[in-house]
Amino acid sequence: MGQLLTDIFFFNDRPRFERVGFLIFILIILIFPWIVTSAYGRAVAIKFLLFALFGLGWNLIGGYGGQVDLGQAKNVGFGAYATALMIVWWKVPFWLTIIPGMIIAAAESFAIAYPMFRLKGHYFAIATLCVALVWKELFIFWDWTGGARGVEIPIRSGADFVYMQFNSPIYYHYFIFFLFLLQFFFMNWFRKSKLGYAVQAVRDNEEAAASLGINVYRTKVVNYTITGGLGALGGSFMAVYYLYIDPDAVMPLDLSILIAMTVMVGGAGSIWGPIIGAAILIPLDMYLGAWLGAQKRLGIDFMVYAVIMMVIAAKEPRGIWGIIERKIKKETR
Amino acid sequence: MELTAQLLVYGVLMGLIFALIALGLSLIFGVMNIVNFAHGEFLMMGMYIAYLLSTFLHLDPLISLPIAAGAGYLLGIGSYHILIHRILRGPMVAQLFGTFGLMLFLRYLAMYIFTPDVRSVKQGILVGKTLSMGWVNVDASKIFSAGVCLLAFAAIYWMIYRTKLGRGLRATSIDAEAAKYMGIDTKGMNALAWGIGGATVALAGALLAHFYYVTPTVGMLFTLIAFATVALGGFGSILGAFVAGIIIGLIMVISGQLVSELKFSFIYVVYFLVVVFRPRGLFGW
Repeated sequence: MGQLLTDIFFFNDRPRFERVGFLIFILIILIFPWIVTSAYGRAVAIKFLLFALFGLGWNLIGGYGGQVDLGQAKNVGFGAYATALMIVWWKVPFWLTIIPGMIIAAAESFAIAYPMFRLKGHYFAIATLCVALVWKELFIFWDWTGGARGVEIPIRSGADFVYMQFNSPIYYHYFIFFLFLLQFFFMNWFRKSKLGYAVQAVRDNEEAAASLGINVYRTKVVNYTITGGLGALGGSFMAVYYLYIDPDAVMPLDLSILIAMTVMVGGAGSIWGPIIGAAILIPLDMYLGAWLGAQKRLGIDFMVYAVIMMVIAAKEPRGIWGIIERKIKKETR
Repeated sequence: MELTAQLLVYGVLMGLIFALIALGLSLIFGVMNIVNFAHGEFLMMGMYIAYLLSTFLHLDPLISLPIAAGAGYLLGIGSYHILIHRILRGPMVAQLFGTFGLMLFLRYLAMYIFTPDVRSVKQGILVGKTLSMGWVNVDASKIFSAGVCLLAFAAIYWMIYRTKLGRGLRATSIDAEAAKYMGIDTKGMNALAWGIGGATVALAGALLAHFYYVTPTVGMLFTLIAFATVALGGFGSILGAFVAGIIIGLIMVISGQLVSELKFSFIYVVYFLVVVFRPRGLFGW
């Protein structure tokens, strides 16, 4: 038990500057809504935490697993639709909709993983993209999901902790921060768990991993299934935060790309990477997007993204965290 | 009967265009084992060239065909020299994100310049004309496009299997290392593959602009169709791309008739089933 708690909450294997950095990060997030009082600034912080959450989940398959999954938006969509539809149809409290959403997403990922992991590399990436697009077309096509019109969650007055509806963004800020921490500590446990090491071994060398007795195929399938479930968690939050969802909002290709990009830019396969990536890309997106949108200059924000992406791909595939780590190593040498 | 004949003809004609689109992707993959996510964006650029020349210079879209092909060639070569050769040695993830970044860049560059408005080519000898042949009525532009696709295919086929340059390309695709020792400029061959890929797909774009709307986001769809086509035909196989293009064209047209909202889903499903159950495709090795 004590060992388990240590594995979850401690970073004894990481260098000191990382642990200090993480504490500072937590403090900043805790006091953030009291320093920044503008609604927009708070919205940026919430979106940052949401994408850090998404990134942590995607890091499982994309970073530790080394498989490029370009369809994470489908899992976000499953979570968002599970929450929204259960609240609208049966008035189920929000907290009881999270787990079903995650189970649905995980079950779908599990079912699809079996054929999917006969593929590798490019073939796998394109297949994930195709699956996500088919789901999106189905959600637009079906009537029971609200089709292209989407689903609206009825608004309640005052602070409601059962359906998680609040007037003030401060509540949402701490709520998403709570979800983020949950997932963060899960990931901290995961990277040191037996499964986590198996996943990384498979990424680095499949033959060697297999020769050590790791079931490569099953490791990939389990990893993909967990990734699917984690994607749905952020989706559930999106449903109660935006109170209105449609396939274009919660399942678009752009969302899959942005999730993958935050991890790639920040540093795939490290626990800090998704946080760093989200801290760079989300404010860039929100402020650049707002500023350029006001000037009717569509597209520049994504062009900036694209350039960052190409430079990262060509110069440092390990992302910004890779650069930081290399610098630190040089100094301590 | 009439409907069936109409659908079949329409499917084959669309399929020839899909085949031409897939040709470049297949060639690039065959020569250097890299998937170009920006392929559809090259196509989109060809479409905009046809649109711009016809709207502002009042040139017939037919004249824009060689211009689009030339521009596509330059774009392909340029992409190779600026970006692709830098990511070739990196891990697969980096390659994927490199061409993905290129795709996003071109797409949103078009968004920035042309705004998201949907546009179409309105002038031209062939635009809006239909031919009627017995049961079927066909757009003149589609018949013409199919003819150009056949010609382009024949030309590329001849180039690859009958010329010295083509032999160099094939040698590079079989074993780049060995080809280098034999004195073949493999880097040049890689660039050439990107050039040909860009030229053919931009040509297809200029043809497509005759009867398809033009928007900055049109590329992704055709990239995915091209992936499905190439997977079905076998990655790297030229003949495979040709046959698979026609099959994909027929699938899209027929499924579109049955459930029009899901017609693209059928293509994604085809890709999925092919790569899972027959990764070699029809003609791959």
